[in-house]
Amino acid sequence: MQDLKLRANDNRGLSQLEAGFDLLGWHEITQGSILHSFDGDATNIVNLKAEERTYSGYNSYTATVASWRVDKPVFNIDVCIDCQNCWVWCPDSSIISRDKQMLGIDYDHCKGCGVCVEVCPTNPKSLLMFAEQRELGEALSQWPEKKKKEEKN
Amino acid sequence: MTEIRWHSRAGQGAVSGAKGLGDVVATTGKEVQAFALYGSAKRGAALRAYNRIDDKPILNHAKFMNPDYVLVIDPALAFTDNITVNEDEKTKYIITTHLSKEELIAGIPELEGKEERVYILDCVQISLDTIGRSMPNAPMLGALVKISGMFELDYFLENMKRVLSKFPQKIIDANMDAINRAYNEVK
Amino acid sequence: MAEKFDLNEREVWDGNYAASQALRQADVDVVAAYPITPSTPIVENYGSYVANGYIDGEFIMVESEHAAMSGCIGASAAGGRVATATSSQGFALMAEVLYQASGMRLPIVLNVVNRALASPLNVSGDHSDMYLGRDSGWIQMDAFNAQEAYDLTLCAFKIGENHSVRLPVMVHQDGFTTSHTAQNTYPLTDEAAAKFVGKIVPVDDMLDFSRPVTYGAQTESDWHFEHKIKQHKAIMDSRPVIDEVYAEFEKLTGREYKRVESYNMEDADVAIVALGTTVETARIAAEELKSEGIKAGIVAIRCFRPFPFDQVREALKNVKCVSVLDRSSPAGAMGAFFNEVSAALYTTASRPLVTNFIYGLGGRDFSIEEAKRIFKEQQAHADAGHITTDIQQFSGLRGPYLGFFQTKRG
Repeated sequence: MQDLKLRANDNRGLSQLEAGFDLLGWHEITQGSILHSFDGDATNIVNLKAEERTYSGYNSYTATVASWRVDKPVFNIDVCIDCQNCWVWCPDSSIISRDKQMLGIDYDHCKGCGVCVEVCPTNPKSLLMFAEQRELGEALSQWPEKKKKEEKN
Repeated sequence: MTEIRWHSRAGQGAVSGAKGLGDVVATTGKEVQAFALYGSAKRGAALRAYNRIDDKPILNHAKFMNPDYVLVIDPALAFTDNITVNEDEKTKYIITTHLSKEELIAGIPELEGKEERVYILDCVQISLDTIGRSMPNAPMLGALVKISGMFELDYFLENMKRVLSKFPQKIIDANMDAINRAYNEVK
Repeated sequence: MAEKFDLNEREVWDGNYAASQALRQADVDVVAAYPITPSTPIVENYGSYVANGYIDGEFIMVESEHAAMSGCIGASAAGGRVATATSSQGFALMAEVLYQASGMRLPIVLNVVNRALASPLNVSGDHSDMYLGRDSGWIQMDAFNAQEAYDLTLCAFKIGENHSVRLPVMVHQDGFTTSHTAQNTYPLTDEAAAKFVGKIVPVDDMLDFSRPVTYGAQTESDWHFEHKIKQHKAIMDSRPVIDEVYAEFEKLTGREYKRVESYNMEDADVAIVALGTTVETARIAAEELKSEGIKAGIVAIRCFRPFPFDQVREALKNVKCVSVLDRSSPAGAMGAFFNEVSAALYTTASRPLVTNFIYGLGGRDFSIEEAKRIFKEQQAHADAGHITTDIQQFSGLRGPYLGFFQTKRG
């Protein structure tokens, strides 16, 4: 009598996988690994704000990488001159800016790389890295003073 | 099945000649094949072109053939290329030359004893006189029509006009003259 | 409005010209190409049809075959009907991008005029490039003459663009032996061809701004396997669609195509399995051998991918001995084609004897007489009940006898 557990269609080695065995099967995935960004008609979606758009589950906007972060950038609106440098340089489109006015950080998608802090030209900087668990108020209360010229060098 | 092998240099029009012949033959309802054996051919390099003509579709794609006609359109190739390769007892040779048949055969020992199957004309001179430059393919077609009896001359001329229809009238007329002269001069 | 192209009911076309006319009639939107011998005239002619107003399309000149196929991918992803042509080294340079095209399920049509791969350099026909594409995820169809190059190119669009297929399709023809050999060819009228091929209905096209899509996703070990197998199943499942398109084409033209073609196989004892023009040359040999009392047949693979495993098995199960002819240097193995046919035959009850000839490399001629000799050799194996020579031999090779591996049967 053949051991039925040996039949290929019952045992495809999935039980031995460390991860991914509960993802979609070959019959459920998209043709050509092509991913659509939005659910429904997206004709005028460019005119909507990101949070108003109907991003599909395939769009990385619907995933969060917040947990990748160890340090977080904190934004101090009192020092910012709205130069947009951080918005230009952020590799994860996580600077929220509307009508060229800097509003804050998208903490769902920020990975805490610190590039925004690096490129900020104000004195003191309008963006500084703090430990992830630090409260906003506490961080702002510890903001440094403007540095004098000789200190800067 | 009629099989024809052309000996030519790249640029003398053997491939066009073979394709033009194929075009005319096809209008008679026969099946044709026209191809050439190319190397990395440059103008002046020796090449061989081939025709097959049959009543039923041609399935043989081999280059190998025992040709019924060997058409040599370059005078020097008659001596330097192996024009008698794979011949049989019915192979007829039409060779362009300014020599007499005796002088020609004296230089090509392989043709000795086959005088009655060797035909000559000067395709180069005919094309110079009619077309104005050395283009020996058209005269060779005239000679083949005569020797093979494959077509009436008028029928062939009419159909060649159609094949050449993309050319200016002057060139078509010159080609017709060349075919005509060759038909009458081959011996 | 496109200019009217004058066509006769009967033309004398070579394979290249025939394929280029099929591209014109299929109203191809974009050809991105880097021409290479012997396929050059296909894309050159398409360019002249565009330049002379016979077709409303785009000819894109690029700097390499890699770029040519990349351009085709962009145009196809945008939603256009796209084709190109290549050969040999060009095909090899295109190889990486072939996998991208099939993985993205883009129905590009590629005319491959088969030519040997260097080194040493050679412009003539063998099947090295065709074999190089056999795992690339493309449907591969093989034409044995100019007429078939025309017919199959028209069919290729209809097969690849079918929404249940959505795969790129190669149409192969033998370099020079088909591509530069003019034969009687019977084209469809422009209207009939356009009606047969139909208009492309795009899928996931990037120019559809109401539904933006991402092409070229990355999938690691958690997703890649499923995507490749979905693609593999799509090629396997294209078989009935190919059959339907062939049937529709036959209704229109009377010209019948099958994924596996059989000639003189009804009562054959011995058979040759081959690809390309060799099939037709061997048909004459089989016919002539009747008078010598040898029952010889030919099984030809029209559709190399998806490989017709079941039909090959069915076509050959009643013969005693089969010789599979590989026109590509196997470089350290049995011929790839031999291996595939042998695998199919291994699953039959009769398990005919199977031998392998490597032949015709770099355009080496293959004659009727040689086909006859191979048939006779298979007859000798059949009479002996086992393979009496080495299993792998060489046809038309100069030098001392060469052969590899002997049978353990009989």
